[in-house]
Order: sequence, then C-alpha cells, then structure tokens
Amino acid sequence: MTELTIAVAKGRMQDEALRLLARAGIRLSQAALRSRRLAIEDESGAHRLIFVKPSDVPVYVEHGIADCGIVGRDVLLESGADLLQPLDLRIGYCRIAVASGAGEFPKATGALRVATKYPRITAAHFGARGVPVEIIQLSGSVELAAALGLAHCIVDLVETGRTLSENGLKVVEVITESSARLVVNRASYQLKAAAVSRLMGSLRVETEVEGAA
Amino acid sequence: MFEPLSKIPDGMRYYFGAEARLRRGVEDAVMAVFDGWSYEEITTPCVDYLALFERGMGYEQAHRSFRFTDTDGRMLALRPDVTSSVARSAATLFADRPRPLRFCYASQVFRQQPLSHALWRREGKQLGCELFGVEGLNAEIEMLCVATEILTGLKLGHDFRVTINSVEIFNGICEYLAFDDSQRELMRQLLDRRDAAELQKFLGGFATTDIERTSFVRLTQLSGKGEILEEARRIITNPRSVAALENLAALWRIIQTLDLTNFCDIDLGDVSGLDYYTGLTCKIYVRGAGAHVGSGGRYDHLTANFGRAEPAVGFVLDLDSLTDVLMHRETAIPPATPNAATPSPARETDPATLFTDARRRRERRERVSIDCVR
Repeated sequence: MTELTIAVAKGRMQDEALRLLARAGIRLSQAALRSRRLAIEDESGAHRLIFVKPSDVPVYVEHGIADCGIVGRDVLLESGADLLQPLDLRIGYCRIAVASGAGEFPKATGALRVATKYPRITAAHFGARGVPVEIIQLSGSVELAAALGLAHCIVDLVETGRTLSENGLKVVEVITESSARLVVNRASYQLKAAAVSRLMGSLRVETEVEGAA
Repeated sequence: MFEPLSKIPDGMRYYFGAEARLRRGVEDAVMAVFDGWSYEEITTPCVDYLALFERGMGYEQAHRSFRFTDTDGRMLALRPDVTSSVARSAATLFADRPRPLRFCYASQVFRQQPLSHALWRREGKQLGCELFGVEGLNAEIEMLCVATEILTGLKLGHDFRVTINSVEIFNGICEYLAFDDSQRELMRQLLDRRDAAELQKFLGGFATTDIERTSFVRLTQLSGKGEILEEARRIITNPRSVAALENLAALWRIIQTLDLTNFCDIDLGDVSGLDYYTGLTCKIYVRGAGAHVGSGGRYDHLTANFGRAEPAVGFVLDLDSLTDVLMHRETAIPPATPNAATPSPARETDPATLFTDARRRRERRERVSIDCVR
C-alpha cells in the first residue's frame, strides 16, 4: 500500500533528487523511468512519486495531495506556501542574486526597474531596504532584459555564473542561497508521522554522506 | 462592464443539497456535545470594532479582516474570529456571573486575506467553545475530552489527531537566549516550519554552544507520544521551559489514564498559534485535510485586555474543512438524502382541500411536497 506520495520538481535537479531518493531506498524501475507517466510507484510500492513543475511542488504539498516534496528553497521563498521544511537535502545549490551590466546599481533612478522570475523575493528584498522598484515579471531568459535595457538589473538564480557573464552581466549582490529542501504537508507530518520520520531518517543519512564527500 | 451574473467574490461559495445537509448535521452534532458538557450557546455581533480584534487576535491577524468605517468614522470589521468577542463579554457583560463560565458558538467568520493557499475560503464557519475561570489541568483535560468526543462521534475512527504543546517551552527558550521581539518571531517562524537547516544558521549568531544549538534544532523534530518528553527534558534546562514540560507531562499522564493516547500527540514544534496563547496549545488534524481543521489552547491574558484578568481555554473547529473531509467518507450523519416526501393527493385541484390535507400531514410531522404547478 502506498504510504507516502512525494512530489519531485522536474528539471534542474530532478536527476540529483532521484539519485538521492534511490540511495535512501526509494528506487524506480528502469521501465518506470523511461515511461512518460507522471505518477509512478517505487519498487517497494510504499512510495508514489509524482513529477511536476518546480513551482507546483509547494501547491501539491500544501493541499496535502502529496505528503512530501523535493524542491529548491528559491521556489519555496517565491511561493510563500505554508509548509514544513524539515530537511536541507544539500543538492541543487545555487544563489539568488541581483545582477546588472555594470556590476553595480545605476545611480539616480526614481524607481529601479528589475526584471525577474521571482517577483515576491524581489519585492521583499528591495522592500526591506526601502528601495522603490518597478518589477517586470518574466518567465525565462531574464538576462536578456538587462542586456537589452528592458530593466536596470535582474534578480535570478545563479549556479555557475556562466550565463550571466556570457550575456555581459555581473553579480551586484547575493540575496540568499538556495538548495533543495524536503517539504512536508502539515497534516501528513502528524497523521503519517511514522512514514515521514522514516523517510527523513534515511534521507538525512544520505545527505550527510553527500555533505561529507 | 460585462461579467456573468453568476460571478461571486473570491473565497466565497454556495452550499446546497447533500453538502448543506451534512454541514447542518455536523453542526448539530458538535453543538450537542458542547451542550452535553454544559456549554451555553452565545451569538456575538457579526460586525464589531476593529480595535476589539486587534486587542483579541493581535494586529496582524485582525488586519486580515474585511474592514470598513462606521458613520462616526470608527473602523469596523466583519468578525475574523469569535473568541475575541466572547472574551470581551466574559470580562464585561458576564463579569459578575459565577465561574466557571462556559460558552459555545457556531458562527461565520470572515477574512479578506485568506490564511494560506489551501485555506482559500474567505468566509468560514467556526464551531467553538470557551471555558473561563479555571486554572490548571482540569480545564485543559475538559477541552481534550470535548474535542475527542466530537471527533469520535463524527465517525472519524483513528483518522484524527489532536497535537498538544505548551507555548511556555518556547517562551522559556527565548527568555534564556535573551531574544528581542523580532528575533523571537524569526525563531518562531523557523521552528514552525521545522526548518532545521535555517534554525541552525540563525542560532549560530547567538552565544550558545554547539551542543545547545543542536539540541534546540532537535526541538523542531520532537513530535510523538510521552517518550519525547524524556528527550525534551535532556535538551531544555531553563526553569520556565522545564515547568511547562512538567505540566505537559502531568497532562500526558491523565491522557494515558483516560485512554486517549491513540488520539493525541505531543508536538513541541507547534508554535504557530496566535499571539494570545499563554500555555497549552492544540491543533486538530484529520486524514484527508491538508491543513489543520481545528485549534485551541489556553489564553490567560486575553480577558485582561478587556479589564478582567482570568484564566481561559477554548478551541474551534473549522466546519468547512471538516465537512470537506466528511463528504468523502461513509458517515452516519446526516442521511445522505432527505426523507421521502409523501406525495400530495393526485387530481386534487382545489387549493383549500390540498392545503388542509398538507397541514394535517404536517401535524403528523410527515414531509410534504405540494405539487403547485398543476
């Protein structure tokens, strides 16, 4: 019987997350991995994995459709979802940073124009310092906005910094660091305490191995 | 402006048919249990001064309400909770009544800002009870007994859990670490999210040892039965928290005696309560609902805001979340379909005869359905 449903963010760190889960004993058969089904049971049958867009992971978990999820801290900060975040999985490291062409803030603007996929994080960051900003929300290729002059600067994920430098941008400041988190639904944490705690236990061991390596 | 007339504001909805009957049935069942424990029904004003809710719930929660101005310019609010108003009445209208005072209610509450994505409703119905004037364990045990009787009565079997904690454990730690208000709030948020990684980083900024830091982080994961109190005692040594732990341990012993251990859990990471809790807090979870369906606790300082300090406990159930779950379960309450109506006599066209017959059958408490169209 399926004990736990785990939502996994597709894309950037899906493979890393699946490797981590496999080491923690949650393995998917090759056939399941090759299939295009979006909900798959693991080999033990105790876990069901669902694959959704990163920003949808908090949604599934907050509503309790998935008990747990694996998703970046950047996505959690942006979603503002009410979830438990008991474990740093130490994978998918990146930074959320402000970047601009000159590598510094332009002087004397009435309102800083910032292009981003992260309007909430951006508003909170500049709001906390009392800097007025005009946020331009984009859904991808954010670097272009600063390179072509749509915005003075951008707020985006920085992994290696290569995309930034190839588009002539430099990091002005790092807002926060991000890595993958295990998130848990509040009700599941209580009502499926034993299963959640087993999952946390085995993932914790594996992340510590990973962290030490 | 063209928009369909069927459009209603976000977070509002209609209830009808089986769902409306279920809501009525659940409300009646819950109110009957309250009545069985001698709670007297009270109805509070739906519109009240915003200042009342600021005093009662704290600024942030109160400002989730729908607000508007009275003719004299004072700010009013559609009540976002019932407890504030009941506490005011206990301290003022009922100041001279002998204690204990027991009140219960089934009332709509409104929030302009929903609490979370999952709790999207802006109008909800709270079924709640409040007990004023009783210190110590007895009031807290009574609350747990009432809550478990209700949930068992709703045929939830073992699919519900009441988690208990004491805010004094957390308060003791904050006092020990000499936190100011903003540090306390940050720690509360991290603990509430069980965010062990960020909490570890945050505590790194304070003059605590590595062992102490790790122990406090461990708090985020202490949830379970009585044995976690043992572990907590090793972690927490400040007198204020220790006293709270002892209270919790005493409560747990009674829970064991009453054979309620299967329904209850201790959850030291639950610090999400409103500002007004002063001791025990509880949350009620039901399998099938993504968020808690009820919460409560001890709020000994609340009535002092209205000029008469006295101990108080209470809890509320969210009828909407509860019925969302019950709609998908086999429940005995209420009948899924209404009793069949006896048909009005065929070929009867004289209204006087038709309705004389109907009234006679109503006197026998039969369900009638007049075929008026003929």
